[in-house]
Amino acid sequence: MNQPADLGSAPSLEPAVPAAPGRTGHRHLVSRFAMIGVLIALTVLATALHPGFLSPDNLRDLLLQNTAVGIVALGMTFVIISGGFDLSVGATYALSATVSAGVTLSTGSPSLGVLAALGAGAACGIVNGLLVARLRINPFVATLGSASVISGIALLYSHSAPFIVSDPHFKILARSSLAGIPTPILILVVTFSAGAVLLGMTRYGRNIYAVGGNSEAGWLSGLRVARLTASVYVMTGLLAAFAGSIDASRLGVGQADVGANLALDAIAIVIVGGTSLRGGEGAIWRSAVGLLIFATLTNLFYSLNLSQNWQLIAKGTIVLIAVAFDAWSRHRRA
Amino acid sequence: MNPTSERAIVARAARKVFSGAVAVHGADLHVRTGEVHALVGENGAGKSTLLGLLSGRLAVDGGTVEVFGHRLHGGSPRESRAHGLVAIYQELMMVPALSAEANVFLGQVSTRRGLLDRRAMRARYHELSADLDVHIPPGTPARALSVSQQQMLEIMRGVHSDARILVLDEPTAALAEHERETLYRVLRTLTARGTTIVFVSHNLDEVLDLSDTITVLRDGHVVRSAPRAEWTRPALIEHMVGRTVGKLAERGTHSPGDEVLAAQDVSLPGVLKDISVTVRAGEIVGLWGLVGSGRTTFLRSLAGAEPAATGTLRLHGRRHRWPRSIRAAVEAGIVMVPESRKQALVPGMDGAANHWLGRRRSRSPLLDRRAERAEAATTGAFFAFDAARLGAPVRQLSGGNQQKVLLAKWAGHRPDVFLVDEPTRGIDIGAKTEVLASLVRLAAEGAAVIVTSSELEEVLAIANRLLVFAHGRVVREIPSDDPEFHADTVVRHGFTSGAPHEPAR
Repeated sequence: MNQPADLGSAPSLEPAVPAAPGRTGHRHLVSRFAMIGVLIALTVLATALHPGFLSPDNLRDLLLQNTAVGIVALGMTFVIISGGFDLSVGATYALSATVSAGVTLSTGSPSLGVLAALGAGAACGIVNGLLVARLRINPFVATLGSASVISGIALLYSHSAPFIVSDPHFKILARSSLAGIPTPILILVVTFSAGAVLLGMTRYGRNIYAVGGNSEAGWLSGLRVARLTASVYVMTGLLAAFAGSIDASRLGVGQADVGANLALDAIAIVIVGGTSLRGGEGAIWRSAVGLLIFATLTNLFYSLNLSQNWQLIAKGTIVLIAVAFDAWSRHRRA
Repeated sequence: MNPTSERAIVARAARKVFSGAVAVHGADLHVRTGEVHALVGENGAGKSTLLGLLSGRLAVDGGTVEVFGHRLHGGSPRESRAHGLVAIYQELMMVPALSAEANVFLGQVSTRRGLLDRRAMRARYHELSADLDVHIPPGTPARALSVSQQQMLEIMRGVHSDARILVLDEPTAALAEHERETLYRVLRTLTARGTTIVFVSHNLDEVLDLSDTITVLRDGHVVRSAPRAEWTRPALIEHMVGRTVGKLAERGTHSPGDEVLAAQDVSLPGVLKDISVTVRAGEIVGLWGLVGSGRTTFLRSLAGAEPAATGTLRLHGRRHRWPRSIRAAVEAGIVMVPESRKQALVPGMDGAANHWLGRRRSRSPLLDRRAERAEAATTGAFFAFDAARLGAPVRQLSGGNQQKVLLAKWAGHRPDVFLVDEPTRGIDIGAKTEVLASLVRLAAEGAAVIVTSSELEEVLAIANRLLVFAHGRVVREIPSDDPEFHADTVVRHGFTSGAPHEPAR
């Protein structure tokens, strides 16, 4: 065996150069700290502007208000890392909220309501998965279309009127607590932890990264790429349905015309956390950081009495800055 | 001629750093007007980076680069273009859906009263075609053209914009031998009329053939820049690797065992017709043919990557179902190391993760990274891959190291049949010898190996038998002890009109 002829390690950065926008691991280090830094800075700012920010009551409210969007963002993280996109989560969320309330009203059983809602969410996910993975429709277009269909179904099912549930059992999911911690927050923590394990530590998670990073390589390695792709949409549908059920339970109402901003908010959380829109890169903890940034901002806006309109402008701007930062840090190294 | 115009490109102490790693250390380089200037070096020597600096695609971190006396600010291909420099990179700048003609006039369309002047462009296209003596139907979409045809379109694009300097990064890496000839001819036409050409190449023969000046780089330094007459092939290699290199590879001396794989009448409508091959344990069968002759498709068919392919398969003497998916082939013990590293690796994942992609091993639902690393390191070592680099995203590895990761990944399946497509494309000589030697050792350990390469010499160096492909058929089967087992004869067979296969004596 002769000496490895690759001359040292440093010069082998070279191939990254002709390969169009080069990417190195360096950015990860920078943005890893960048987002946590932003979160800390925001927290300091929020405490300064609103002294009660770090009080347990405020933190609890902050998390409770963002449980649903957080759970949806968890699913969105999987979709985006797999190289896809899901714009139908808002519609699925609304459909599930209606189904959950509607079935509870008609059967008298909140558990059946939640089960039916999850079923509806899974069905939406399966349809999205088939559209994207089997029919190979661009995920953006596929889920934009399915969102419209799902919204229509929800409106038809509810006759465009809210289902108001007075049964106290219906509210258990969102209003109960365990050891002083509200159930939705526990659910949020448990789903995020489970998601982090699934994505970061299992073969399935690894395969999702591979599909997003280079689906051809995955296919050539013998992965069932279509099935993997479809699976993330099913998971996202389920999570959106779960979020819908929790919110329906929290409000005691299931109605079809909610969730309009949910997809954008969830995508914002994922991107702000630093997961790349190109797929194949990112992590669940990033979305957790993104969620906290997002929640802190929303909370701050409320405490400053900013109107909804300003919130929209501020949120949109933040998303654009995050995306621009991603694109810029990628381009700088090209 | 005034003194500044004699120098087409001048680099002074040009330096480039990527995320802290110095890719080019203060390079001084002079490219004279009208010469053909080659940059050679092993992968990672800094050739492509230096080329990027010279062409203005990259900005220098220190020093200066001047084109015809104009100092480049870098990072702007438009700026260098304005000074008459056109660069053609390995990734061709083609819009796949647009026609050949539209691609030539990309960004420089002719218009008349604000509308596209199709007639003028068509006329100019034919003029350019006649000028370079290349004939590509103008209406064909670029995606339907071969790499070499697309490259010609890029050159036509450069000629159309009156390029005075043409910069090419590895122009022949993806070309078959006869396509290279066309490129050489076109380049000679261009130099004859005074165009300066700067190119990077791994192919030393073409470097020695074409160049007026050759510059060798090693570790980001210019080792020596001298006129062609002062160079010989061994001298180039010696400067590139900093030591002398012997023979490319040795054929195995072990005797082959029992038949492992016998594929019969493998067909794929329009591509392959009734191809049969048998491989014994310990044997390396080489496939050679021109691009488009079907050798890659044949490997893909055996590996289950061409679901429409048909044929009959015998493994270890027993009939086996024809593999219709990659999973099925892998389960039958047949693996394929695909042609393109870019397609076959996930660039953002590290070596160990790529190694395990698509494999099931432990019963535990959680990944055991340490065990993964350990196994990947062992298999990687077989291919002379440095285990310390397993943790790096493969996009940061040199081509040679990526190839080793890819080989190790598939060898990790411990297959009976190892199909290897173009294992040495675009990697440096040191890595080439290692890759070829590792294939021989793999065979010595009892694997049945089928390997293709555009580099005929490499196949001839290690194969026990060679199948020559032409037009989707096997036109010749030549054992290594046959007098026909020679580059000249093989190439002649490869160019046949596709007469049916006569078995070797």
